[in-house]
Amino acid sequence: MNLTTFYLAVAGLVLAPLLGGLVAGVDRVVTARLQSRMGPPLLQPFYDVGKLMSKVIAPASQWQGLFVRWALVASLASDVLLAAGADVLMCFFVQAASACFVALGAFSGSSPYSKLGAQRELFQMLSYEPVFLVCILCMAKASGGFDAYSMMGASAQPLLYKMPLIIPGLIFVVLVKMRKSPFDIAASHHMHQEVVRGVYTDYAGRDFALLEIAHWADVVVVLWICSFLWATGPLQMVAVAAVTLFVALVIDNISARLTWRHMVKVAAPLSLVLATANLLWLYVE
Amino acid sequence: MSFLKKSQIKSPWLMHFDCGSCNGCDIETLACLTPVYDVERFGIINVGNPRHADVLVVTGTVNPRNAVILKNIYDQMPTPKLVIAVGACGCSGGVFREAPNVLGGIDKVIPVDVYVPGCPAKPEAIMDAVVTGLAKLKGILEESK
Repeated sequence: MNLTTFYLAVAGLVLAPLLGGLVAGVDRVVTARLQSRMGPPLLQPFYDVGKLMSKVIAPASQWQGLFVRWALVASLASDVLLAAGADVLMCFFVQAASACFVALGAFSGSSPYSKLGAQRELFQMLSYEPVFLVCILCMAKASGGFDAYSMMGASAQPLLYKMPLIIPGLIFVVLVKMRKSPFDIAASHHMHQEVVRGVYTDYAGRDFALLEIAHWADVVVVLWICSFLWATGPLQMVAVAAVTLFVALVIDNISARLTWRHMVKVAAPLSLVLATANLLWLYVE
Repeated sequence: MSFLKKSQIKSPWLMHFDCGSCNGCDIETLACLTPVYDVERFGIINVGNPRHADVLVVTGTVNPRNAVILKNIYDQMPTPKLVIAVGACGCSGGVFREAPNVLGGIDKVIPVDVYVPGCPAKPEAIMDAVVTGLAKLKGILEESK
């Protein structure tokens, strides 16, 4: 590891959560504008996390604090790996570990909504992880390497031309990871619903704030991997991430939540079949 | 004022509990979320979980049955917390205060920070109550530094 890689890794560690917070702010403002509202200030997610940090409340279980910190470490680690140009598959697995820790913490709580949310979180993982894996395999096959730098500097021709069929899969993954309708099944992004806050119900105060930061880091990783599709330059990558975010927000605002059964039986297999067909095509070509 | 203390004033998450109201005040409370009033521009979110809430908005009278639930919800909220009693019933028991099953207003069970009169209370009055409550919280935070 040379010094440049080290600096990039540190930049990933510091900037990714900040960027994720900004994405959350843009998300809330754009969502409000789509609903003909003013919306909160752009920095509102940072105020929310600051507020949660200063709250005094006993944890629902003695294990929750530990699991939350592990989830945060895993999410930040996936950002660091991506920034340092490491294996994208490794980054993907580390992020999956983070989601597992969130579910474990929710299982250790006492609320039935928390346990229900944790089970739904596992169903979500069962659905999006294979799709995301095949999408990354497609990118690796087309760019000739699993490390982030070879995907980012693939060629003059964007990867998108070689993998149009993974778009539904990536949108599915983005919707699930950003906890947006119709796949905000585990945590019910818009509150006051039948699972209260699902997997987040028992987390409160500082633990919830750390979990929110972990979520920001996750969102940055997923949008970053999406931006590999048009990695002809940094501006183009930011544009692809912005377009992906906007598409996710529009879908969130025009759709109602689906059931987990629909996700497992229809949405996940369909996007998996399309992405796998694309992978086979890349191998045959 | 530090960033963490400033955040507490800029991000009030609100939990609404119907403690036996006729639903008039509840409709007015939920109207605050609509595009016309849009309380989210003040950072206010309506949450359904007392563990995430900072402000408890209670409508309606208290009776011996729901007094236990009201106390339970209040106890689950993290400190510092605010309580707002909305409507004539929430403030004092309103026209039902002499009824045999009615204990009275919310303050018979939990401490109330701001009272909002009206039958039903107007959305503007409810938003004003939240802002008044936050000013009170700001004073407490400034004293504690």
